[in-house]
Amino acid sequence: MEGVWVVLLAFLTCGYFALAGFDYGVGVLLRLVARDERSRRVVLRAVTPFFLGNEVWLVAAVGVLFGAFPRLEGELLSSQHTVFAVLLTGLVCFTVAVQLRSPGWDFLLVGGALVVAVSWGVLLGRVLGGPSVLWGAGVLVLFSLHGAVFLAWRLSGELRRRAVRIAVSLVLPCAAFVVAAVFTAGPVAVPAFGLVAVVAVGLSGGAWVALRCERYRVAFGCSALLCALPVVAVFGARSVVTVSVMADPSTLRVLTWAAVAVVPLVLVFQWATWWMSRAAR
Amino acid sequence: MDALGLARLQFATTTSFHFLFVLLTLGLVTVVAVTQTRAALSANPVHARMTRFWGRLYVVNYALGIATGIVMEFQFGLNWSGLSTFAGDVFGAPLALETLVAFFLESTFLGLWIFGWDRLGKWVHLALIWLVALTAYASAFWIMMANAFLQHPVGHELRDGVLRMVDFSALLANPTFGTAFLHVCFAALTVGGVFVTGVSAYHFIRRTSEVEFFRRSLRLGVVLTAVATPFLVGFGFGQFPILQEFQPEKLDTVGALDGTGLGFMIQIGFVLLLVSWATVPLLFRDWVVKMRFPLYLMVVGIPLPFVAAIGGWLFREVGRQPWLVQGLLTTSDAVSHVGRDQMLVSFIAFTAVFAVLAVADWVLIARLARRGPVSSDEEPVSPLVPAL
Repeated sequence: MEGVWVVLLAFLTCGYFALAGFDYGVGVLLRLVARDERSRRVVLRAVTPFFLGNEVWLVAAVGVLFGAFPRLEGELLSSQHTVFAVLLTGLVCFTVAVQLRSPGWDFLLVGGALVVAVSWGVLLGRVLGGPSVLWGAGVLVLFSLHGAVFLAWRLSGELRRRAVRIAVSLVLPCAAFVVAAVFTAGPVAVPAFGLVAVVAVGLSGGAWVALRCERYRVAFGCSALLCALPVVAVFGARSVVTVSVMADPSTLRVLTWAAVAVVPLVLVFQWATWWMSRAAR
Repeated sequence: MDALGLARLQFATTTSFHFLFVLLTLGLVTVVAVTQTRAALSANPVHARMTRFWGRLYVVNYALGIATGIVMEFQFGLNWSGLSTFAGDVFGAPLALETLVAFFLESTFLGLWIFGWDRLGKWVHLALIWLVALTAYASAFWIMMANAFLQHPVGHELRDGVLRMVDFSALLANPTFGTAFLHVCFAALTVGGVFVTGVSAYHFIRRTSEVEFFRRSLRLGVVLTAVATPFLVGFGFGQFPILQEFQPEKLDTVGALDGTGLGFMIQIGFVLLLVSWATVPLLFRDWVVKMRFPLYLMVVGIPLPFVAAIGGWLFREVGRQPWLVQGLLTTSDAVSHVGRDQMLVSFIAFTAVFAVLAVADWVLIARLARRGPVSSDEEPVSPLVPAL
């Protein structure tokens, strides 16, 4: 039973990074990809159908963290109080700026996305014992790559060309970050770290090749997995989750029923959202 | 003020802002579901236009409210780690259920509803808004269940210094849960009714040309308020015997803050009950519109149910002090080991962001409400709602 919940928490967190990652990436790159107001709207239109659905993975992950890992939740959040406070402030600014978009407030949109990406990097770095600066910059590059690949897939014409150019230029920094992260890994025991890094470098290469061959969906798949990998590293690298931080089996039993019913439903309906906006193009 | 005081103030601020958004979301989603049902059943296009107009206001409010919800959720772990450590096994279960069963599904359904506009079949699209409404009320259900546990902890045993769940059904049967949950539901319906009434009245004051549109909206709002308020008041007073039995000290030691909150809530509840029932006969032949002065009262009345709701919330939460979990965990034992300065910085940051958020929400909703129903080819208000 405990194992199921660790997997579910990892799955929800990976889902959040892989999906919301491109929201933040698009936010960071908004003014770079789109040079005028009309094309900025086109760029944002590409993201907005998925926006609500992407963000809610975070809500679900934190809910599971609270319900199934109560002693980890309080410990983790309160020990990283300031980073989370900064992250949440950025998240609120970004969410609002996307939804109430008005050209004069783009600094909130770009700034909010930037703050969220860097904060997640810093948090991951702290949990894994790596240098915060490297991780902050690294996750920013990861999300930006993901956002650029997403735009390359969903847009066309000049905007797509620009997105491809940005994405291609970000592949090398991405791979460099992965290598640097392995070499600067802290005293934390990291058995699976090397393996994750090899996969990560492979995925960066895959994204690069796919972009060159104009296979944008494949490239998107690569960058999505790439964004989820740091989370895999956290779950695989150290024993963040032990039975002592988990809820009692009596609690988990109740929650399991809900998870079994809800998670497949969410997957089906989110898939329907993707399918629908593809059919409309 | 010390870290504990700041943490409490921060929680009160976040909850109050969040609650304002939530009430309007719950109220409006009901209105939208009703109008969309009528649109599906009727040949008159006015219902579809009503769905679009009120749906747009609803979506804007939801999309901004979600930001306050995320901060709420994190705040338990950030500032009150003692609560999750000690009571997380029991208290965390309804919270986790809320995020999974309600929030996760609700946002997914809503995203599909927004972007399925004109793309999905009529009945599928209608089913989606009812699913959104259902999951929205399910959110309130689980949250009130979690809150009821704080008022009157049941279904647990103390093992190794932490609470463990022994009986989940006891949480469901908690006497401080059911009545309070229904009270909140009817409060949300009242908020929705008063809001729809007020916005429609505003358009009649401005002598709108959309007479049929706003006549139907006004009627819907007044009838919804009139139906909801007797239950609202009934379930409100229905809680006093429960309080008397389980938390008598809440009634014995009413302070300035919670006492004022309680007083405001009761007075506003009665005013809305009387006024809405007095208005129902005036709907006949649009007397209420012809008389004109009630229209001004309806606009002025929009904030009232919000004020009442915050008052009620203050009474329920402040009255429990010094306990966080009644009789088991004090507020001061539950606060995280976080420095005063850190707490202060996060308090200022969140409060500032939320104040801007609330103002932005009201300004945008007011602008949209003032603009009235417009044809769909006009500039969308937000990239999130291009369909609306």
